[in-house]
Amino acid sequence: MPSPTLHGSSRTRKWILSSPPVEWATMQLQELLINALRQGPVPQHVAFVMDGNRRFARSNHIETVEGHNMGFEALAKILEVCYKSGVKVVTIYAFSIENFKRPLHEVNALMEIAKIKLLQLCQHGELMDRYGANLRILGHRSLLRQDVLEAIEQATEMTKHNDRAILNVCFPYTSRDEMTTAIRDIVSSSTIPHTSPPSPSPSDSSSSTSTSTSSGKTATPGLMDIESITENTITQHMFTSGCPPLDLLVRTSGVERLSDFMMWQCHQDTDIVFSDYLWPQFDIWKFMPILINWGVKRRKLEKERGDVEVRGVGMGMGVSRDGVY
Amino acid sequence: MANVAPPPPYSSSSSSAYPPRPLKSALRSRQQKPPEVLERERVLLARLPAADPREKPIRNFLATRFYKFILLTIHLLFSIYLKLRWAYHNILNRGLSILYYHHRTPQLIRKDVKELEERGKLPEHVSVVLEYERGGLDTLIDEVSEISCWCASAGIRTLSVYEQTGILKSYISTSHRSISQRLHSYFGKSRPRLRVHAPPLSSLHDPGQEGREVGLEVILISEEDGRESLVDLTKTLCDMAQRGKISSEDVSVELIDAEVTENTISEPDLLILFSPSVVLRGYPPWQIRLTEIFHVQDNSGVGYQVFLRALHRFAKTEMRFGRVEYRNKSRMDTGGLLRLRDFRTCRYPAGVMHISSEVAPALFVFRCVGVGKGPSLRLFRWAERHSQKITHSGSMGTV
Repeated sequence: MPSPTLHGSSRTRKWILSSPPVEWATMQLQELLINALRQGPVPQHVAFVMDGNRRFARSNHIETVEGHNMGFEALAKILEVCYKSGVKVVTIYAFSIENFKRPLHEVNALMEIAKIKLLQLCQHGELMDRYGANLRILGHRSLLRQDVLEAIEQATEMTKHNDRAILNVCFPYTSRDEMTTAIRDIVSSSTIPHTSPPSPSPSDSSSSTSTSTSSGKTATPGLMDIESITENTITQHMFTSGCPPLDLLVRTSGVERLSDFMMWQCHQDTDIVFSDYLWPQFDIWKFMPILINWGVKRRKLEKERGDVEVRGVGMGMGVSRDGVY
Repeated sequence: MANVAPPPPYSSSSSSAYPPRPLKSALRSRQQKPPEVLERERVLLARLPAADPREKPIRNFLATRFYKFILLTIHLLFSIYLKLRWAYHNILNRGLSILYYHHRTPQLIRKDVKELEERGKLPEHVSVVLEYERGGLDTLIDEVSEISCWCASAGIRTLSVYEQTGILKSYISTSHRSISQRLHSYFGKSRPRLRVHAPPLSSLHDPGQEGREVGLEVILISEEDGRESLVDLTKTLCDMAQRGKISSEDVSVELIDAEVTENTISEPDLLILFSPSVVLRGYPPWQIRLTEIFHVQDNSGVGYQVFLRALHRFAKTEMRFGRVEYRNKSRMDTGGLLRLRDFRTCRYPAGVMHISSEVAPALFVFRCVGVGKGPSLRLFRWAERHSQKITHSGSMGTV
């Protein structure tokens, strides 16, 4: 495992790496790699658990808040790599409902960072704008303070016209809460009598998706048919409804747990990767091997299953999902 | 995508409205602009890159070819790297499996996990993912029996076995018989009581031993205990709601958790995958919230060393080569504490120290967990002065 402290040798290395010609060369190399990756299979939906900011701060003797800030910078870089190489949806675990149990000053600081950075990210000409990414906040928003909510509102407003990519920020989120919300929504919609065909309910900006269960063959007159509930119904009621299936989940800092993140989405065919690096250390050079590995694996899988079939299905799904958002 | 919409009438006039400045830089300036301008810019900018590729078809074609070639090279190199890594890991795993072999003796397994047990870091509920395709039903049942015996020897009470297709569930009695026989060959007459069951079905006890304390509980689960069970639960809840028994506000995390735990399995402490990478294959989603997920890179197949490494990983201890060697107990006195403070303490302010392992025979390791948690330095000094024991309820034991 790499030691995060700066030693003499690594300082020289850093100095060399930051010299203009070397920097230029690495930039060119990055571009080349990203462009090459675009030509092969690329995961459509990637999720990150940004773990290790605090530990990074502690081992480098900096403030926890500073650690979170550096984590945000790392995020911006990784997002850029993702969108450039053709990832459509990126989901990040920014704040767990459990995190409210952390010391108050840290929670407040995190909220401040979120407020500032979300707006910054979405500004005209900034990252989200450049890659046409639409910001969505997933989670239990009612737990947030009013000013944070306003900032979120403003940020989502700024990017709502973008349709080329999506950034899901799980803000106060846990997967169990998400599943419960989905089930609760289904239960409450099952009791609402709808005699007329399901009218498009006014989709307010709240995160709880209001996908009307269109397959409403009513058994009890006026009520939803219970037998029509399937896995798909629940999937459509998840916060991530409309996103392509999760292809890759990356968790940093060597912790090999999901910690209540995307459990419904990742427990089938998703590749889960645990990286030993702390999140602020996680950059393109640590992410690239993961992407390449995924590509190699996917290519092998496609070969095994017969190239034509898988491609057809994959593409078809991609297109139809694109239509959703 | 941009050419679908008809060009807005003002788009041509807008480009001629700013003749002196270059168009793109004018558009990208960061001043606040009225919404109509922003809208116009957006339409224009969406068009600008789309127009470019059509101008240089040959160049683009060549570039694509070039990038494809680069990608192929990368994939080739990476595959070679993967092969080498696979070879390396396989040799390592072979070595470990020779070094750590259980010889079907519970005492040996006990010895391997003794350190973890003393530290109180042994999982109570272990779950494993097995694959049917790997070798057929006989192999599968054989693997289940082996793992059950390891768990019983290590002192793990609950083992849940996940197999995607659910074929094990239709062979409960066969599995039960096979596990019993294997337990017998491990333990002889004093074998622990066994209970095998598959969630929706009733359980199978050792004959004539119902009601007695169970030494090992084996639960067989499959894909249908995952999403399907949640769908069934949703249906039940909808049904109850339609009949007015509950309202949607009653649906809470606790309610679902209770139902899911009752109908399938509780949350396991440790999930061991015997596959080369982490893919969950439909494992019940509700239950893997905080479960430690363990796999050995490039390993495929069930092996005792994987099981043992998983337990060690769970306890956050290093497996030492050879059998566990114990540190001299005399280092446990105040001298030990002093030595330890030199080790890493001085870096952190008072109050942030935490003993993460101070089990009697092991080395001290310090872990910093943030202000306000764990014993403070003051406590250490006090212990030092009095040669006293520190008992901390958080994660640790006594000094």
